[in-house]
Amino acid sequence: MTEDEFARLSTYVHDARKPLNRISMQAELVKMALNGEVPAQKAMAALDKIITSAKDCSDSLSDMTSDFGDTLLD
Amino acid sequence: MLTVLLVDDDAEFTEVACTIIEFLGHEVLTAATLEEARDWLKKETFDHVLLDFMLPDGSGAHLFDELNALPKRPRITLITGHPSVKGVIKGLCGPNIDYLVKPIQREDIEAVLTGKPKVVEDTSEKIEKHFDLLIGESAPMRELYKLIERVSRTSANVMLLGESGVGKEVVAAAIHRASQSEGPYVVTNCGAFSKELIGSELFGHEKGAFTGAVGRKEGVFEQAEGGCLFLDEITEMPIDMQPNLLRVLENKVVIRVGGTKTIPVNCRVVSATNRTMEEIAQSKVLREDIYFRLAVFPITIPTLRERKEDIPLLAKTFIEEFNKDNGSKFSWQESQLNTLQAYDWPGNVRELRHFVHRAAIMSDPTKQVIELPKTIESPFAKKQSTAPALQAGRTIEDVEKELIYATLEKVNGNKTMAADMLGISTKTLYNRLHAYGDLVKED
Repeated sequence: MTEDEFARLSTYVHDARKPLNRISMQAELVKMALNGEVPAQKAMAALDKIITSAKDCSDSLSDMTSDFGDTLLD
Repeated sequence: MLTVLLVDDDAEFTEVACTIIEFLGHEVLTAATLEEARDWLKKETFDHVLLDFMLPDGSGAHLFDELNALPKRPRITLITGHPSVKGVIKGLCGPNIDYLVKPIQREDIEAVLTGKPKVVEDTSEKIEKHFDLLIGESAPMRELYKLIERVSRTSANVMLLGESGVGKEVVAAAIHRASQSEGPYVVTNCGAFSKELIGSELFGHEKGAFTGAVGRKEGVFEQAEGGCLFLDEITEMPIDMQPNLLRVLENKVVIRVGGTKTIPVNCRVVSATNRTMEEIAQSKVLREDIYFRLAVFPITIPTLRERKEDIPLLAKTFIEEFNKDNGSKFSWQESQLNTLQAYDWPGNVRELRHFVHRAAIMSDPTKQVIELPKTIESPFAKKQSTAPALQAGRTIEDVEKELIYATLEKVNGNKTMAADMLGISTKTLYNRLHAYGDLVKED
Protein backbone atom coordinates (compact mmCIF):
# COMPACT_ATOMS: atom_id res chain seq x y z
CA MET A 1 0.00 0.00 0.00
CA THR A 2 1.38 3.38 -0.96
CA GLU A 3 1.50 6.36 1.35
CA ASP A 4 -1.18 8.06 -0.68
CA GLU A 5 -3.46 5.04 -0.40
CA PHE A 6 -2.94 4.87 3.33
CA ALA A 7 -3.90 8.55 3.66
CA ARG A 8 -7.09 7.91 1.67
CA LEU A 9 -7.87 4.86 3.78
CA SER A 10 -7.42 6.89 6.96
CA THR A 11 -9.87 9.47 5.71
CA TYR A 12 -12.47 6.76 5.09
CA VAL A 13 -11.88 5.26 8.50
CA HIS A 14 -12.34 8.68 10.04
CA ASP A 15 -15.57 9.17 8.12
CA ALA A 16 -16.85 5.79 9.23
CA ARG A 17 -15.90 6.38 12.84
CA LYS A 18 -17.81 9.64 13.08
CA PRO A 19 -21.29 8.04 12.75
CA LEU A 20 -20.18 5.25 15.10
CA ASN A 21 -19.30 7.82 17.75
CA ARG A 22 -22.68 9.44 17.24
CA ILE A 23 -24.42 6.07 17.59
CA SER A 24 -22.61 5.47 20.85
CA MET A 25 -23.63 8.87 22.25
CA GLN A 26 -27.24 8.45 21.16
CA ALA A 27 -27.30 5.01 22.78
CA GLU A 28 -26.26 6.63 26.07
CA LEU A 29 -29.22 8.96 25.66
CA VAL A 30 -31.59 6.02 25.09
CA LYS A 31 -30.23 4.41 28.25
CA MET A 32 -30.98 7.59 30.19
CA ALA A 33 -34.47 7.77 28.73
CA LEU A 34 -35.15 4.18 29.74
CA ASN A 35 -33.99 5.04 33.25
CA GLY A 36 -36.47 7.91 33.23
CA GLU A 37 -33.66 10.45 33.54
CA VAL A 38 -34.63 12.35 30.39
CA PRO A 39 -38.03 12.51 28.66
CA ALA A 40 -38.98 9.32 26.81
CA GLN A 41 -39.57 11.15 23.50
CA LYS A 42 -35.83 11.80 23.37
CA ALA A 43 -35.26 8.09 23.07
CA MET A 44 -37.35 7.93 19.89
CA ALA A 45 -35.43 10.80 18.30
CA ALA A 46 -32.15 9.24 19.40
CA LEU A 47 -33.08 5.86 17.87
CA ASP A 48 -33.93 7.56 14.57
CA LYS A 49 -30.53 9.22 14.62
CA ILE A 50 -28.88 5.90 15.39
CA ILE A 51 -30.51 4.42 12.28
CA THR A 52 -29.41 7.38 10.17
CA SER A 53 -25.87 7.11 11.49
CA ALA A 54 -25.77 3.39 10.85
CA LYS A 55 -26.71 4.10 7.21
CA ASP A 56 -24.06 6.84 7.03
CA CYS A 57 -21.48 4.44 8.32
CA SER A 58 -22.50 1.76 5.88
CA ASP A 59 -22.40 4.29 3.02
CA SER A 60 -18.92 5.45 3.81
CA LEU A 61 -17.73 1.85 3.98
CA SER A 62 -19.30 1.23 0.56
CA ASP A 63 -17.58 4.36 -0.77
CA MET A 64 -14.32 3.02 0.52
CA THR A 65 -14.65 -0.36 -1.12
CA SER A 66 -15.69 1.13 -4.45
CA ASP A 67 -12.86 3.68 -4.33
CA PHE A 68 -10.26 1.02 -3.60
CA GLY A 69 -11.90 -1.32 -6.09
CA ASP A 70 -11.41 1.39 -8.74
CA THR A 71 -7.75 1.60 -7.78
CA LEU A 72 -7.40 -2.09 -8.43
CA LEU A 73 -8.98 -1.74 -11.88
CA ASP A 74 -6.70 1.13 -12.84
CA MET B 1 -22.57 22.75 39.82
CA LEU B 2 -19.89 23.45 37.23
CA THR B 3 -19.96 25.74 34.24
CA VAL B 4 -18.67 23.76 31.29
CA LEU B 5 -17.62 24.85 27.82
CA LEU B 6 -17.91 22.14 25.19
CA VAL B 7 -15.97 22.83 22.00
CA ASP B 8 -16.70 20.36 19.20
CA ASP B 9 -17.71 20.78 15.58
CA ASP B 10 -19.99 17.73 15.47
CA ALA B 11 -23.39 19.25 16.25
CA GLU B 12 -25.05 15.91 16.96
CA PHE B 13 -22.32 14.94 19.42
CA THR B 14 -22.55 18.27 21.24
CA GLU B 15 -26.32 18.05 21.51
CA VAL B 16 -26.28 14.68 23.24
CA ALA B 17 -23.25 15.53 25.36
CA CYS B 18 -25.07 18.68 26.52
CA THR B 19 -28.11 16.64 27.54
CA ILE B 20 -25.91 14.34 29.58
CA ILE B 21 -23.89 17.16 31.18
CA GLU B 22 -27.04 19.07 32.05
CA PHE B 23 -28.56 15.94 33.52
CA LEU B 24 -25.47 15.61 35.70
CA GLY B 25 -26.41 19.00 37.11
CA HIS B 26 -23.96 21.28 35.32
CA GLU B 27 -24.40 24.29 33.10
CA VAL B 28 -22.99 23.88 29.62
CA LEU B 29 -22.24 26.23 26.72
CA THR B 30 -21.09 25.09 23.31
CA ALA B 31 -18.80 26.28 20.59
CA ALA B 32 -18.17 24.67 17.21
CA THR B 33 -14.92 26.48 16.37
CA LEU B 34 -11.88 27.95 18.12
CA GLU B 35 -13.20 31.40 17.30
CA GLU B 36 -16.53 30.76 19.04
CA ALA B 37 -14.70 29.27 22.00
CA ARG B 38 -12.54 32.40 22.31
CA ASP B 39 -15.69 34.53 22.27
CA TRP B 40 -17.17 32.57 25.15
CA LEU B 41 -13.95 32.75 27.14
CA LYS B 42 -14.11 36.54 26.95
CA LYS B 43 -17.68 36.67 28.24
CA GLU B 44 -17.80 33.87 30.82
CA THR B 45 -15.64 32.05 33.30
CA PHE B 46 -15.64 28.27 33.07
CA ASP B 47 -14.75 25.54 35.53
CA HIS B 48 -14.11 22.97 32.86
CA VAL B 49 -13.44 23.04 29.13
CA LEU B 50 -14.05 19.97 27.00
CA LEU B 51 -12.08 20.53 23.84
CA ASP B 52 -12.06 18.65 20.56
CA PHE B 53 -8.58 18.07 19.26
CA MET B 54 -9.43 18.77 15.62
CA LEU B 55 -11.56 21.80 14.93
CA PRO B 56 -12.32 23.42 11.56
CA ASP B 57 -10.10 26.42 12.29
CA GLY B 58 -7.25 24.66 14.06
CA SER B 59 -6.39 22.31 16.86
CA GLY B 60 -7.89 22.53 20.32
CA ALA B 61 -4.32 22.53 21.58
CA HIS B 62 -4.03 26.11 20.29
CA LEU B 63 -6.31 27.20 23.12
CA PHE B 64 -4.01 25.85 25.84
CA ASP B 65 -1.93 29.02 26.18
CA GLU B 66 -5.00 31.22 26.28
CA LEU B 67 -6.66 29.02 28.87
CA ASN B 68 -3.52 28.99 31.01
CA ALA B 69 -3.39 32.78 30.88
CA LEU B 70 -6.91 33.15 32.29
CA PRO B 71 -7.21 34.48 35.85
CA LYS B 72 -9.08 31.31 36.84
CA ARG B 73 -7.68 28.47 34.80
CA PRO B 74 -10.42 25.99 33.95
CA ARG B 75 -9.72 22.27 33.97
CA ILE B 76 -9.16 21.00 30.46
CA THR B 77 -10.19 17.73 28.88
CA LEU B 78 -9.20 17.06 25.28
CA ILE B 79 -11.52 14.95 23.16
CA THR B 80 -10.41 13.16 20.06
CA GLY B 81 -12.09 10.92 17.53
CA HIS B 82 -8.77 9.42 16.47
CA PRO B 83 -7.47 6.67 18.69
CA SER B 84 -4.23 6.85 16.70
CA VAL B 85 -3.37 10.30 18.01
CA LYS B 86 -3.93 9.17 21.57
CA GLY B 87 -0.20 8.90 22.19
CA VAL B 88 0.46 12.39 20.88
CA ILE B 89 -2.28 13.82 23.06
CA LYS B 90 -1.01 12.03 26.12
CA GLY B 91 2.34 13.72 25.52
CA LEU B 92 0.71 17.11 25.00
CA CYS B 93 -1.53 16.89 28.00
CA GLY B 94 0.76 16.33 30.89
CA PRO B 95 -0.67 15.89 34.34
CA ASN B 96 -3.00 18.92 34.25
CA ILE B 97 -5.04 17.88 31.26
CA ASP B 98 -7.34 14.89 30.90
CA TYR B 99 -8.19 13.39 27.59
CA LEU B 100 -11.02 11.26 26.24
CA VAL B 101 -11.17 9.20 23.08
CA LYS B 102 -14.46 8.84 21.24
CA PRO B 103 -16.72 6.93 21.46
CA ILE B 104 -17.40 8.50 24.81
CA GLN B 105 -19.69 7.01 27.41
CA ARG B 106 -21.73 8.80 29.96
CA GLU B 107 -19.51 7.48 32.75
CA ASP B 108 -16.46 8.99 31.02
CA ILE B 109 -18.04 12.43 31.10
CA GLU B 110 -19.08 11.91 34.70
CA ALA B 111 -15.58 10.84 35.61
CA VAL B 112 -13.75 13.79 34.03
CA LEU B 113 -16.19 16.34 35.42
CA THR B 114 -15.99 15.05 38.97
CA GLY B 115 -12.29 14.38 38.58
CA LYS B 116 -12.71 10.90 39.96
CA PRO B 117 -11.92 7.64 38.25
CA LYS B 118 -14.87 5.57 37.17
CA VAL B 119 -13.67 2.48 39.01
CA VAL B 120 -16.64 2.47 41.40
CA GLU B 121 -19.04 2.20 38.50
CA ASP B 122 -17.18 -0.79 37.12
CA THR B 123 -17.43 -2.91 40.26
CA SER B 124 -21.14 -2.26 40.52
CA GLU B 125 -21.73 -3.81 37.14
CA LYS B 126 -20.07 -7.06 38.06
CA ILE B 127 -22.66 -8.09 40.65
CA GLU B 128 -25.27 -10.08 38.80
CA LYS B 129 -28.88 -10.04 39.92
CA HIS B 130 -30.49 -13.35 39.16
CA PHE B 131 -34.05 -12.91 37.89
CA ASP B 132 -33.26 -9.18 38.36
CA LEU B 133 -33.75 -9.69 42.09
CA LEU B 134 -31.49 -12.22 43.76
CA ILE B 135 -27.85 -11.73 44.64
CA GLY B 136 -25.38 -14.48 45.42
CA GLU B 137 -23.09 -16.92 43.65
CA SER B 138 -22.73 -19.51 46.43
CA ALA B 139 -23.61 -23.15 45.92
CA PRO B 140 -26.88 -22.99 47.97
CA MET B 141 -28.02 -19.99 45.93
CA ARG B 142 -27.13 -21.65 42.62
CA GLU B 143 -29.26 -24.58 43.77
CA LEU B 144 -32.07 -22.15 44.60
CA TYR B 145 -31.88 -20.54 41.14
CA LYS B 146 -32.18 -23.96 39.58
CA LEU B 147 -35.29 -24.72 41.64
CA ILE B 148 -36.86 -21.36 40.77
CA GLU B 149 -36.11 -21.91 37.11
CA ARG B 150 -37.74 -25.36 37.18
CA VAL B 151 -40.82 -24.52 39.17
CA SER B 152 -41.46 -21.34 37.19
CA ARG B 153 -42.09 -23.40 34.09
CA THR B 154 -44.91 -25.27 35.82
CA SER B 155 -47.99 -23.88 37.53
CA ALA B 156 -47.35 -25.77 40.78
CA ASN B 157 -48.01 -24.15 44.14
CA VAL B 158 -44.80 -23.34 45.97
CA MET B 159 -44.16 -23.11 49.68
CA LEU B 160 -41.14 -21.10 50.72
CA LEU B 161 -39.56 -22.04 54.01
CA GLY B 162 -36.84 -20.02 55.61
CA GLU B 163 -35.85 -17.99 58.61
CA SER B 164 -36.97 -14.44 59.04
CA GLY B 165 -35.07 -12.08 56.75
CA VAL B 166 -33.81 -14.61 54.19
CA GLY B 167 -35.85 -12.97 51.44
CA LYS B 168 -38.94 -15.12 51.01
CA GLU B 169 -40.87 -12.31 49.41
CA VAL B 170 -38.01 -11.61 47.01
CA VAL B 171 -37.89 -15.27 45.98
CA ALA B 172 -41.67 -15.25 45.44
CA ALA B 173 -41.29 -12.24 43.17
CA ALA B 174 -38.45 -14.01 41.35
CA ILE B 175 -40.67 -17.04 40.73
CA HIS B 176 -43.36 -14.79 39.32
CA ARG B 177 -40.85 -12.99 37.12
CA ALA B 178 -39.23 -16.20 35.90
CA SER B 179 -42.62 -17.63 34.97
CA GLN B 180 -43.11 -14.74 32.51
CA SER B 181 -46.75 -14.82 33.42
CA GLU B 182 -48.77 -11.90 32.17
CA GLY B 183 -51.08 -11.85 35.16
CA PRO B 184 -50.53 -9.72 38.23
CA TYR B 185 -48.44 -10.49 41.29
CA VAL B 186 -50.50 -9.99 44.44
CA VAL B 187 -49.06 -10.05 47.95
CA THR B 188 -50.98 -10.50 51.16
CA ASN B 189 -49.87 -11.22 54.70
CA CYS B 190 -52.03 -13.82 56.41
CA GLY B 191 -50.75 -12.79 59.80
CA ALA B 192 -51.88 -9.22 59.35
CA PHE B 193 -55.64 -9.79 59.38
CA SER B 194 -58.00 -10.60 62.17
CA LYS B 195 -60.06 -13.76 61.95
CA GLU B 196 -63.08 -11.73 60.86
CA LEU B 197 -61.29 -9.89 58.09
CA ILE B 198 -59.12 -12.56 56.55
CA GLY B 199 -62.05 -14.20 54.77
CA SER B 200 -62.95 -10.99 53.03
CA GLU B 201 -59.29 -10.28 52.21
CA LEU B 202 -58.78 -13.67 50.59
CA PHE B 203 -62.14 -14.32 48.98
CA GLY B 204 -63.70 -10.87 48.74
CA HIS B 205 -67.18 -9.90 49.94
CA GLU B 206 -70.51 -8.78 48.59
CA LYS B 207 -72.09 -5.48 49.50
CA GLY B 208 -73.75 -5.76 52.90
CA ALA B 209 -72.14 -9.09 53.78
CA PHE B 210 -71.32 -7.73 57.23
CA THR B 211 -71.41 -4.45 59.10
CA GLY B 212 -69.11 -2.08 57.29
CA ALA B 213 -69.18 -3.94 53.97
CA VAL B 214 -70.43 -0.89 52.10
CA GLY B 215 -69.31 -2.03 48.68
CA ARG B 216 -68.36 -5.17 46.85
CA LYS B 217 -64.74 -6.20 47.17
CA GLU B 218 -62.62 -8.59 45.14
CA GLY B 219 -60.50 -10.97 47.19
CA VAL B 220 -56.83 -11.49 46.47
CA PHE B 221 -57.56 -14.77 44.68
CA GLU B 222 -59.65 -12.86 42.17
CA GLN B 223 -57.13 -10.04 41.92
CA ALA B 224 -54.34 -12.48 41.09
CA GLU B 225 -56.29 -14.02 38.18
CA GLY B 226 -53.83 -15.50 35.72
CA GLY B 227 -50.88 -14.46 37.85
CA CYS B 228 -49.35 -15.27 41.17
CA LEU B 229 -50.69 -14.88 44.71
CA PHE B 230 -48.13 -14.65 47.49
CA LEU B 231 -49.51 -15.61 50.92
CA ASP B 232 -46.94 -14.53 53.46
CA GLU B 233 -46.91 -16.00 56.98
CA ILE B 234 -49.34 -18.70 55.97
CA THR B 235 -48.86 -20.49 59.30
CA GLU B 236 -50.26 -17.44 61.12
CA MET B 237 -53.61 -17.92 59.45
CA PRO B 238 -56.31 -18.85 62.00
CA ILE B 239 -56.79 -22.62 61.84
CA ASP B 240 -60.59 -22.38 61.58
CA MET B 241 -60.24 -20.32 58.37
CA GLN B 242 -58.12 -23.00 56.78
CA PRO B 243 -60.98 -25.25 55.56
CA ASN B 244 -62.24 -22.34 53.46
CA LEU B 245 -58.80 -21.94 51.94
CA LEU B 246 -58.62 -25.66 51.29
CA ARG B 247 -61.89 -25.56 49.37
CA VAL B 248 -60.55 -22.83 47.10
CA LEU B 249 -57.34 -24.72 46.48
CA GLU B 250 -59.18 -27.97 45.75
CA ASN B 251 -62.04 -26.70 43.63
CA LYS B 252 -60.33 -23.66 42.12
CA VAL B 253 -63.38 -21.51 42.75
CA VAL B 254 -64.09 -18.86 45.37
CA ILE B 255 -67.36 -17.67 46.83
CA ARG B 256 -67.24 -14.13 48.17
CA VAL B 257 -68.26 -13.63 51.79
CA GLY B 258 -72.01 -13.11 51.74
CA GLY B 259 -72.22 -14.21 48.12
CA THR B 260 -73.62 -17.28 46.41
CA LYS B 261 -71.99 -17.21 43.00
CA THR B 262 -68.89 -19.33 42.49
CA ILE B 263 -66.09 -17.49 40.75
CA PRO B 264 -63.39 -19.54 39.03
CA VAL B 265 -59.85 -18.69 40.07
CA ASN B 266 -56.68 -19.47 38.23
CA CYS B 267 -53.45 -18.45 39.85
CA ARG B 268 -50.28 -19.92 41.25
CA VAL B 269 -50.18 -19.73 45.05
CA VAL B 270 -46.78 -19.11 46.59
CA SER B 271 -46.96 -19.29 50.37
CA ALA B 272 -44.24 -18.61 52.91
CA THR B 273 -43.46 -19.35 56.51
CA ASN B 274 -40.51 -18.88 58.82
CA ARG B 275 -41.17 -22.21 60.50
CA THR B 276 -39.42 -25.40 59.55
CA MET B 277 -41.24 -28.35 58.07
CA GLU B 278 -40.90 -30.30 61.35
CA GLU B 279 -42.32 -27.40 63.32
CA ILE B 280 -45.29 -27.15 60.98
CA ALA B 281 -45.97 -30.85 61.39
CA GLN B 282 -45.65 -30.83 65.18
CA SER B 283 -47.25 -27.56 66.18
CA LYS B 284 -50.44 -28.03 64.13
CA VAL B 285 -50.43 -24.48 62.83
CA LEU B 286 -51.30 -25.73 59.41
CA ARG B 287 -53.68 -28.51 58.55
CA GLU B 288 -52.03 -31.42 56.84
CA ASP B 289 -54.33 -31.35 53.83
CA ILE B 290 -53.61 -27.65 53.29
CA TYR B 291 -49.89 -28.25 53.62
CA PHE B 292 -49.90 -30.77 50.78
CA ARG B 293 -51.99 -28.45 48.59
CA LEU B 294 -49.68 -25.51 49.16
CA ALA B 295 -46.35 -27.28 49.28
CA VAL B 296 -46.53 -29.15 45.99
CA PHE B 297 -43.05 -27.79 45.55
CA PRO B 298 -41.45 -26.77 48.84
CA ILE B 299 -38.31 -24.62 48.65
CA THR B 300 -36.11 -23.94 51.65
CA ILE B 301 -34.23 -20.68 51.29
CA PRO B 302 -30.70 -20.81 52.71
CA THR B 303 -29.85 -18.64 55.70
CA LEU B 304 -27.15 -16.04 55.32
CA ARG B 305 -24.75 -17.96 57.55
CA GLU B 306 -25.03 -20.92 55.18
CA ARG B 307 -23.80 -18.75 52.35
CA LYS B 308 -21.27 -16.48 53.93
CA GLU B 309 -19.33 -16.06 50.71
CA ASP B 310 -22.24 -13.97 49.43
CA ILE B 311 -21.95 -11.43 52.25
CA PRO B 312 -19.41 -9.20 50.42
CA LEU B 313 -21.59 -9.17 47.28
CA LEU B 314 -24.66 -8.23 49.30
CA ALA B 315 -22.81 -5.63 51.37
CA LYS B 316 -21.49 -4.02 48.18
CA THR B 317 -24.93 -3.99 46.61
CA PHE B 318 -26.51 -2.42 49.69
CA ILE B 319 -23.85 0.29 49.94
CA GLU B 320 -24.27 1.06 46.24
CA GLU B 321 -28.00 1.40 46.74
CA PHE B 322 -27.30 3.76 49.60
CA ASN B 323 -24.79 5.76 47.52
CA LYS B 324 -27.27 6.05 44.69
CA ASP B 325 -30.04 7.32 46.96
CA ASN B 326 -27.87 9.71 48.91
CA GLY B 327 -25.20 10.79 46.44
CA SER B 328 -22.45 9.48 48.73
CA LYS B 329 -19.32 7.63 47.64
CA PHE B 330 -18.87 5.01 50.34
CA SER B 331 -16.92 1.88 49.60
CA TRP B 332 -15.86 -1.13 51.66
CA GLN B 333 -12.39 -2.03 52.77
CA GLU B 334 -11.34 -5.64 52.51
CA SER B 335 -10.95 -5.98 56.30
CA GLN B 336 -14.46 -4.63 56.89
CA LEU B 337 -15.95 -7.22 54.55
CA ASN B 338 -14.09 -9.89 56.50
CA THR B 339 -15.62 -8.59 59.72
CA LEU B 340 -19.09 -8.76 58.22
CA GLN B 341 -18.41 -12.27 57.02
CA ALA B 342 -17.37 -13.42 60.48
CA TYR B 343 -20.72 -12.52 62.01
CA ASP B 344 -23.62 -14.97 62.12
CA TRP B 345 -26.47 -12.69 60.98
CA PRO B 346 -29.40 -14.29 62.82
CA GLY B 347 -31.64 -11.73 61.11
CA ASN B 348 -30.18 -12.83 57.75
CA VAL B 349 -30.10 -10.55 54.70
CA ARG B 350 -32.60 -8.14 56.24
CA GLU B 351 -30.34 -7.61 59.22
CA LEU B 352 -27.29 -7.17 57.00
CA ARG B 353 -29.05 -4.60 54.88
CA HIS B 354 -30.24 -2.72 57.92
CA PHE B 355 -26.77 -2.84 59.44
CA VAL B 356 -25.09 -1.55 56.26
CA HIS B 357 -27.53 1.33 55.93
CA ARG B 358 -27.14 2.22 59.57
CA ALA B 359 -23.33 2.19 59.33
CA ALA B 360 -23.51 4.39 56.22
CA ILE B 361 -25.76 6.90 57.96
CA MET B 362 -23.36 7.08 60.90
CA SER B 363 -20.32 7.63 58.65
CA ASP B 364 -18.88 10.94 57.48
CA PRO B 365 -20.68 11.62 54.18
CA THR B 366 -17.72 13.53 52.70
CA LYS B 367 -15.43 10.51 52.97
CA GLN B 368 -15.35 7.15 51.28
CA VAL B 369 -14.68 5.19 54.44
CA ILE B 370 -17.58 3.50 56.20
CA GLU B 371 -17.31 3.53 59.96
CA LEU B 372 -18.39 0.21 61.38
CA PRO B 373 -19.55 0.14 64.98
CA LYS B 374 -17.27 -1.84 67.32
CA THR B 375 -19.88 -4.52 67.79
CA ILE B 376 -22.69 -5.70 65.60
CA GLU B 377 -25.55 -5.42 68.00
CA SER B 378 -28.75 -7.23 67.58
CA PRO B 379 -31.01 -8.29 70.39
CA PHE B 380 -31.49 -11.53 68.47
CA ALA B 381 -27.82 -12.28 67.98
CA LYS B 382 -25.84 -14.77 69.97
CA LYS B 383 -22.41 -13.77 68.80
CA GLN B 384 -22.32 -10.06 69.42
CA SER B 385 -18.71 -9.24 68.88
CA THR B 386 -17.39 -8.20 65.48
CA ALA B 387 -13.88 -8.99 66.66
CA PRO B 388 -12.71 -12.23 65.09
CA ALA B 389 -12.90 -15.09 67.57
CA LEU B 390 -9.24 -15.87 67.39
CA GLN B 391 -6.88 -13.00 67.36
CA ALA B 392 -3.24 -12.74 68.24
CA GLY B 393 -2.77 -11.08 71.57
CA ARG B 394 -5.33 -13.10 73.51
CA THR B 395 -4.22 -15.54 76.14
CA ILE B 396 -4.86 -19.26 75.90
CA GLU B 397 -6.76 -19.06 79.18
CA ASP B 398 -9.03 -16.42 77.79
CA VAL B 399 -9.83 -18.39 74.66
CA GLU B 400 -10.30 -21.56 76.70
CA LYS B 401 -12.81 -19.83 78.92
CA GLU B 402 -14.77 -18.58 75.95
CA LEU B 403 -14.78 -22.01 74.37
CA ILE B 404 -16.02 -23.63 77.56
CA TYR B 405 -18.88 -21.17 77.93
CA ALA B 406 -19.82 -21.44 74.28
CA THR B 407 -19.92 -25.23 74.58
CA LEU B 408 -22.00 -25.10 77.74
CA GLU B 409 -24.45 -22.79 76.05
CA LYS B 410 -24.74 -25.16 73.13
CA VAL B 411 -25.67 -28.11 75.35
CA ASN B 412 -27.91 -26.06 77.62
CA GLY B 413 -25.51 -26.22 80.56
CA ASN B 414 -25.20 -30.01 80.63
CA LYS B 415 -21.68 -30.35 82.05
CA THR B 416 -21.20 -34.01 81.23
CA MET B 417 -22.03 -33.43 77.59
CA ALA B 418 -19.95 -30.27 77.47
CA ALA B 419 -16.92 -32.06 78.92
CA ASP B 420 -17.40 -34.77 76.35
CA MET B 421 -17.49 -32.29 73.48
CA LEU B 422 -14.46 -30.45 74.83
CA GLY B 423 -12.54 -33.68 75.18
CA ILE B 424 -11.79 -33.16 78.87
CA SER B 425 -12.97 -35.00 81.98
CA THR B 426 -15.99 -33.73 83.86
CA LYS B 427 -13.71 -33.15 86.82
CA THR B 428 -11.45 -30.86 84.80
CA LEU B 429 -14.47 -28.93 83.60
CA TYR B 430 -15.69 -28.47 87.19
CA ASN B 431 -12.21 -27.35 88.22
CA ARG B 432 -12.15 -24.75 85.45
CA LEU B 433 -15.58 -23.45 86.31
CA HIS B 434 -14.53 -23.21 89.96
CA ALA B 435 -11.50 -21.24 88.90
CA TYR B 436 -13.72 -18.81 86.96
CA GLY B 437 -15.70 -18.42 90.16
CA ASP B 438 -18.81 -19.46 88.35
CA LEU B 439 -19.70 -22.68 90.08
CA VAL B 440 -20.01 -21.16 93.55
CA LYS B 441 -23.26 -19.48 92.51
CA GLU B 442 -24.76 -22.55 90.93
CA ASP B 443 -23.81 -25.31 93.32
